[in-house]
Amino acid sequence: MKGKKLSLLSSILIALAAVLVGLSLMFPWWQMIFFAPQYPEGLNIIVYPNKLEGQIDIVNGLNHYIGMENFSEENFPELAYLSHLVIGLAVITLLTAILRKKSVLYGLIGLFIIGGSLGVWDLSRALRKFGTNLSPTAPIKIDPFVPPLLGHNTVANFVTESILGYGSYFLIAAFILLLIPLWKDRTR
Amino acid sequence: MKKWVPIASGLLAGFVAATISFADFSTSTNNQVASSSTKSDAEKVYVPFGEKDDYYLFASGGHSGQMFIYGVPSMRHIRTVPVFSQDSATGYGFDEHSKKMMGGYTWGDLHHPAFSETKGDYDGKYMFATDVGNSRAAAMDLETFTVKDIINVPNTSGPHCAAFVTENTEYMFLPTRFAVPIGSEYKPLDEYSQQYRGVMSAVTFDQNQEKLNIAYQVALPPWSYDLSDAGKKSSADWAVMTTYNTEEATTNLEINASQADRDFIVLFNWKELEKMIAEGQYDEVTGQKMIFPEKHKGGIYLVPVAKSPHGVDVTPDGKHFIASGKLAPSMTVFSFEKAFEAVKNQDFSGERNGIPILKYESVMEREVNPENALGPLHTQFDDKGMAYTTMFISSEIVKWDPKTGETLDRVPVQYSPGHSVAAEGDTVSPDGKWLIALNKIAKDSYLSVGPSHPESMQLIDISGKMKVIQSSPVNPEPHYAQIIKADKIKTIEVYPKDENNKLATYKQEDAKIVRNGNEVHVYGIAMRSKFIFDAKAKRPDVIEVNQGDKVFIHLTNTDFDEDITHGFAINSYNLNMEVQPGQTNTLEFTADKAGTFPLYCTNFCSALHQEMTGYFLVKPKN
Repeated sequence: MKGKKLSLLSSILIALAAVLVGLSLMFPWWQMIFFAPQYPEGLNIIVYPNKLEGQIDIVNGLNHYIGMENFSEENFPELAYLSHLVIGLAVITLLTAILRKKSVLYGLIGLFIIGGSLGVWDLSRALRKFGTNLSPTAPIKIDPFVPPLLGHNTVANFVTESILGYGSYFLIAAFILLLIPLWKDRTR
Repeated sequence: MKKWVPIASGLLAGFVAATISFADFSTSTNNQVASSSTKSDAEKVYVPFGEKDDYYLFASGGHSGQMFIYGVPSMRHIRTVPVFSQDSATGYGFDEHSKKMMGGYTWGDLHHPAFSETKGDYDGKYMFATDVGNSRAAAMDLETFTVKDIINVPNTSGPHCAAFVTENTEYMFLPTRFAVPIGSEYKPLDEYSQQYRGVMSAVTFDQNQEKLNIAYQVALPPWSYDLSDAGKKSSADWAVMTTYNTEEATTNLEINASQADRDFIVLFNWKELEKMIAEGQYDEVTGQKMIFPEKHKGGIYLVPVAKSPHGVDVTPDGKHFIASGKLAPSMTVFSFEKAFEAVKNQDFSGERNGIPILKYESVMEREVNPENALGPLHTQFDDKGMAYTTMFISSEIVKWDPKTGETLDRVPVQYSPGHSVAAEGDTVSPDGKWLIALNKIAKDSYLSVGPSHPESMQLIDISGKMKVIQSSPVNPEPHYAQIIKADKIKTIEVYPKDENNKLATYKQEDAKIVRNGNEVHVYGIAMRSKFIFDAKAKRPDVIEVNQGDKVFIHLTNTDFDEDITHGFAINSYNLNMEVQPGQTNTLEFTADKAGTFPLYCTNFCSALHQEMTGYFLVKPKN
């Protein structure tokens, strides 16, 4: 089996994965929505691989009451280079599609798993940093907290909702596309 | 081999599908709309929380100098917008821009509001209003519901007969209620007919600069000009206005201005007047281009009308104008086409003050005299072109057909309606549905608040047989109002950043206090929940000046968040202003009192609003 070329269909699927990885750059990866009685429409922090969007200034303005540090692009150096890494990953995925070697594909899947885990770890680290590093002079004192990566959390009058953005779904879909050739070409 | 692969793929795919479906936050709206015929009166006016009214009502605030904004059909008061009078709640007349606009006056008498129009229909961009008290006109921007410009109208005293705009807001005409000598100079009343004039101003509005400007004036005879309307469609180049006191009485007008059997409707072609100005047919007086009709002939005609008329209203199709008799118990329907024909054939019965008079019979189409209806004042229209006329004396609204004169319906109102306003009822395409009677007397309608009563606005459902279904007290005093479809108005919620505004401070570290001789400029920030006047100071929320300094406080609200308005007041300095989200506003004053004066945010902004304070310290001179 080893050394045998992957089928054309598998190659196309991997190429499609490369496209999805590239596309993910244009969409948000992760988003936190803040709901409060006064903000039924929700305030957003929208994370792209290279920028932050949403009502960041308003969220920061409100967060200063509990002594949280400001969210800003300067506070996330990852945003400066993450998009380069993603482009690199897309190129490697495309190369895998061209080479059609199973060993390379295993390597790529490994890369996906390592990259994904690093991403999840990095986001958890950031959430922990912001939620636990509260200013001691804040007018409203609350216990340190760690907002979850996904799902609800309640802090004072705010309920936060963390969700994945389209970019993350594209990455997950790309990962699944990479797994399919393993099954499909299992006899090769 | 690798049995885990399909299992893992399946699990992942399932996880993705589950996340996508759980991450779906689309809200389902469940609109239950009962058909209007099955709704009770209470249901028709009930707008539950979360829903909004279909229409805005802009009601003139009369001698309060303000404009009242209501929702229709709920008749809820939404906002009061100061126009000609000071308003400490918004800092209007206190901050630099509004103080300059008000030109030293502290009150006004806001009479007739008028929306800007495009092709004879409201375009929702601007609202114009006139001040009978101090002879001014104002333009309100409907993105922010704030007044952008006020113009003082010279040679005129009390532009009651306004504001009405031409079909595409080319002009707003301001004819006067009181005749005065040119330049309001001293002249004995014995020389009234020779020396006094009823000057009308043609005012333009530059929408880019948001500036009002007087294009020219017309020195009409010294009569009182009451109400007016611009033509529509085929009559778009024309306008009509009613007159009284063509007797030229100078005392006890109640009797002396009610003697002649006929007064006049002034019919004029503003395109022709515009041409006369372009051709230099005018005299320059008091810096204005003034047309004297006895000298600069053309474009202006008189139509005899039953004595002392009040309203004159153009039908939605632009073919007729209807004068309301006030002292005569009838409405008169005139034909524009007949008037144009008479003008073309020079079919005149004579002239007055050099202005040709058309023959009543050749312009009049019909007189309408509903039985026992007394004191017709003003007419509005519905979507079928039917007319609704307020009867001040018999205290009712009469619905009638301008094409036949037939009375169709009538409903009593409490009490004594002046004007009424229908949904977009003076445009080329009225909506029907609603009519509001603007009643002058509330009397026993509401809980008593002592001898001074509010006015009353009554909502009438005109979709079928007319019925009063809601009554709403209102502060003095809606003379006229405009109802506009809510979706025509596009407001902003936050002022956008203006990097070119040298007075604005958006970054906290840029807040500074700059001294220039005895002038002190503060470039400060208001934000939840503090002031920053000098970012580098030991106490950034303190302003310290010397007695006698001229102080300029340029304050920017950096909360770019809906409804987070801050106020700024200095104790005992009689000063207050507001800074709306994203706005920069300036307060200018002389620090003439030495001492220690706390300053604070007056507009409740946040949980720590009470802490949003600072000090204004004024060092004594010696």
